[in-house]
Amino acid sequence: MTQQQPRRWVHPALLAMVAVIATSGLVYELVTGTLASYVLGDSVTQFSLVIGLYLFAMGIGSYLSKFLEDRLLQRFVEIELCLALAGGLSAPLLFKVYTAAAAFRFALYGVVVLVGTLVGLEIPLLIRLLQFSVDLKELVARVLTLDYVGALIASLLFPSLLLPKLGVHQTSLFFGLLNAAVAMLATFLFPLDRGVTLRLRAQCLLVFGVLAAAFGFVSRFVDRAETVYFGAPIIYTAQSPYQRVVITRSPRTTRLFLNGNLQFSSDDEQRYHEVLVHPAVAALGREPRSVLVLGGGDGLAARELLRYPSIERIVLVDLDAAVTDAFRKLPVALELNGGALNDPRVTVRNEDAYKFLEDSHDSFDLAIVDFPDPSNYAVGKLYTDAFYHLLRERLSFRGVAVVQATSPQYARESFWTIVQTLEGAGWKTAPLHVYVPSFGDWGFVLAGGEELTAPGALRIEPTKLRWLESSGLPELFRFPRDIGRVEAPVNRLNDQKLVAIYAREWGVFTR
Amino acid sequence: MDRRAFLRTLAAGWVVDTILPGKAPIAGRIIGASHGVGHLVRDGGAPAPNGPPDLADVVVVGAGIAGLSAAWRLAPAGLDVHVLELEPFPGGTSTWSEEGAAPHPWGAHYLAAPNPEARAALRLLEEMGVVKGWDAAGRPRFDPRVLCHAPQERIFYRDAWHPGLVPQDELDAHDRAEMERFSRFEDELTERVGADGKPVFQIPLALSSRDPDTLALDRISMRAWLDREGYTSPFLRWYVRYACLDDFGAEPEEVSAWAALHYFAGRKLKTPELDGSHFLVWPEGNGRLVKALSERSRATVTLGALVTGLGTIEGGRVEVRWLDVRDRAPRRTHAKAVVVAAPAFITARLFPAAAARLPVRTSSPWVVANMHVERPIDPDMAWDSVLYDAAGLGYVDARHQLTELSSRTVLTYYRAYGGPDVVDARKSLVVAPWERIANDVLRDLAPAHPELREQISRMDVCVWGHAMPRPRPGFLGERPFEPLVLLDERVAWAHADQPGMALFEESQASGVRAAEALAPALGIELGSTWL
Repeated sequence: MTQQQPRRWVHPALLAMVAVIATSGLVYELVTGTLASYVLGDSVTQFSLVIGLYLFAMGIGSYLSKFLEDRLLQRFVEIELCLALAGGLSAPLLFKVYTAAAAFRFALYGVVVLVGTLVGLEIPLLIRLLQFSVDLKELVARVLTLDYVGALIASLLFPSLLLPKLGVHQTSLFFGLLNAAVAMLATFLFPLDRGVTLRLRAQCLLVFGVLAAAFGFVSRFVDRAETVYFGAPIIYTAQSPYQRVVITRSPRTTRLFLNGNLQFSSDDEQRYHEVLVHPAVAALGREPRSVLVLGGGDGLAARELLRYPSIERIVLVDLDAAVTDAFRKLPVALELNGGALNDPRVTVRNEDAYKFLEDSHDSFDLAIVDFPDPSNYAVGKLYTDAFYHLLRERLSFRGVAVVQATSPQYARESFWTIVQTLEGAGWKTAPLHVYVPSFGDWGFVLAGGEELTAPGALRIEPTKLRWLESSGLPELFRFPRDIGRVEAPVNRLNDQKLVAIYAREWGVFTR
Repeated sequence: MDRRAFLRTLAAGWVVDTILPGKAPIAGRIIGASHGVGHLVRDGGAPAPNGPPDLADVVVVGAGIAGLSAAWRLAPAGLDVHVLELEPFPGGTSTWSEEGAAPHPWGAHYLAAPNPEARAALRLLEEMGVVKGWDAAGRPRFDPRVLCHAPQERIFYRDAWHPGLVPQDELDAHDRAEMERFSRFEDELTERVGADGKPVFQIPLALSSRDPDTLALDRISMRAWLDREGYTSPFLRWYVRYACLDDFGAEPEEVSAWAALHYFAGRKLKTPELDGSHFLVWPEGNGRLVKALSERSRATVTLGALVTGLGTIEGGRVEVRWLDVRDRAPRRTHAKAVVVAAPAFITARLFPAAAARLPVRTSSPWVVANMHVERPIDPDMAWDSVLYDAAGLGYVDARHQLTELSSRTVLTYYRAYGGPDVVDARKSLVVAPWERIANDVLRDLAPAHPELREQISRMDVCVWGHAMPRPRPGFLGERPFEPLVLLDERVAWAHADQPGMALFEESQASGVRAAEALAPALGIELGSTWL
């Protein structure tokens, strides 16, 4: 087949095609760079690697263009379609690779080289397609001008509009669709054999369909990739300076994850929170009036506390406003905590619990201490004898505290280290535990003065609770031999033995 | 360096500048010891004072740890004590700053839990509420919040951070064997008692054994001792070198083996609560101790006061001649007694009659850089970060003892110039522009922190020309542990140069000793000794 001549009137459309091609070329580069810096961190390195590789691959593409000798138009359309698929699917596929396999870097650089090479082929081919209709001087000037203008458009649109409105996945798919549209347009602008034209158009439609389906699917598609990790669709995420907050929801269950660690599951959180709160209230020798909650930004412990009409005041100290804000506003959260954090009796303070105890002169009947497990030294400080000394100073006469103390089943020595540490700080303790299906056997420690004893009856009507009843109390305080007390150290600020013990014990059960 | 050059350097340091074109600019300046003004004393450039003298019971020259401790010891007597300090800040090399995300040290940054024998230090800590009480064996119990929180240290060794100062799992068999051997020796030495019944190494120094065998260690360098004992492991030699630089600002070649082994075996206090760390650490470092001494001394402290000379006048008083650095006005104060809390070489110039009796000390220059950084929160950040085989000693995190998490903090970097050529090192540091020092700091940390440049908004640097005395071989002298205190009836000397080793306990004890020695001249009763 000989070279086809374009008709004169097609020029403006052709030049628009060039602008679209150029814009999408740069967008793919920005998408992969962004994804790389999201996932691998170190944005300067990632962006400079992606840009360098991409430009180099474009050079490869330009060089390879000389080996395409005949049927240039058909080749152009095919390249356009390949690009639509490779570029359009690049972001969702890479994200999939990231959650499924370790080879993310290779996949990333592979995609960059593939897309770059295809983009590098485009402009030389286009110039050759058009070289007989316009003189070369004019052609090169116009095509390259539009190429650079397209790059400018992309670089302006991407950070201001595309990334914030569409996100990386939909942006890359959207430009894949544009590439497929360009391919389709080319089959109309250039005359070709009828059979060939029809075949190309069919291919265009096929690619278009794949990308459109992916575009429609993309939110669920992405969710599904993360779902592998979280086990259910994500309905809320936030990144605070301290942690990543993720809330997932399946038809039945709502779950909260902090830094990927499950905090509660709506299936059985009542077991956890009822055992956290009600035995402590029962151990207090009087009606509780003021309560300090440390941690517990989900408001579920506060919900349990608000069942007592005698409580006048709850001060809830949680470091992370990203958590407390979510549990004050999200409908799914309000459904769970009954709007406890918005109750006039509850004051939420977003500050470090240690700092709060040091600075506060307040006094409370009851303290509910519900921190994440001591998996690092910053949280570990909140499990030291120094911290428990401070806590004691904040309680009124014969006040009672309860401390969430990880699992005596998975982390037996950690649990008893917390007990030992409380005792080292001068508290009398009454350890208890409960089976929470989502977590396993979970432990808490009641702590108080010399008068503290394990309570025999609840201070609340069982009908107001969902799981706990007075007759079940003795069982909570009974520790079978396989989770019974072991010798354990006092966790001090200057050694934090608990962090190492906890890492050793849980290391066996986690990845 | 002349005064104009000094002022020019200072002015240049104030200028906000960038390190690399195209990068976000790092602000910074040189702060520091007033070398230029101080050298007026050396060069004899001070004018004669006139006008009526100020009157005081006691003048203390120098508001470092020794001087403030003398004032603290005198406080119960209710005297009128004037402290004259050259620098615009108190504390000497224990000074600090409150600017930025956290208070931070400009020099000494921790105090190892003092031995029960260091009674003056424990008395101060008890007054501060840091010592909470005493156990049955008479050992102090410390406020756990002040003991260095875990994790204390980490080391950057072979391209990765490892917890602790010794990366056990990374060392080869030879390194590990010698480290174990040295550690056993260290333990044995800590317990060893001389023929005179005293521990071979004690803090205060003066309570150490006078066994000739042990004192003989003062005749050789630590380097020679390592050679003699057959220690060849590169890691062990680095470890010992790090310790010598950290404590004395000098290479093992420059340090008396007695002094170096004292560092490893001088700390005797062992209680369960000190298992994790026996370092007392505050965000502002030993600045907290300076504040405590200042508050309790109830003395009048004048900053920017350059003392130019001392002389006895009739009526049994001492005249202290000084210069107000701001207006260059010559002043004088008449006192019943004077404590000169200054290095030996300055004391010799102020009081030439005693020059022959004062020890000759070599002092080490140091560079301290405070880097104001913002970076992602690391919940497992250590207090002290050390880079193996780096030029400097690494850095400490001022936020470490604060319980609040924050992405903004101040990192304090230290580098001692520990070679034999102290004069050259000092001269080149004093004229170095801020850019060069800041670049050296960043380059030294770059293997572990290539990104640091982008996280720093500000880096201030301080050049300490005379940071601390160097306990070179022979530093104990002809009559070990018999410190020169009274220069004459009414003038006493207090300084780390006296023992020849810059430890808080020693400086503080020298100040207390000087104050107590002046009681007869002052005609007061100070009660039983605090030492």
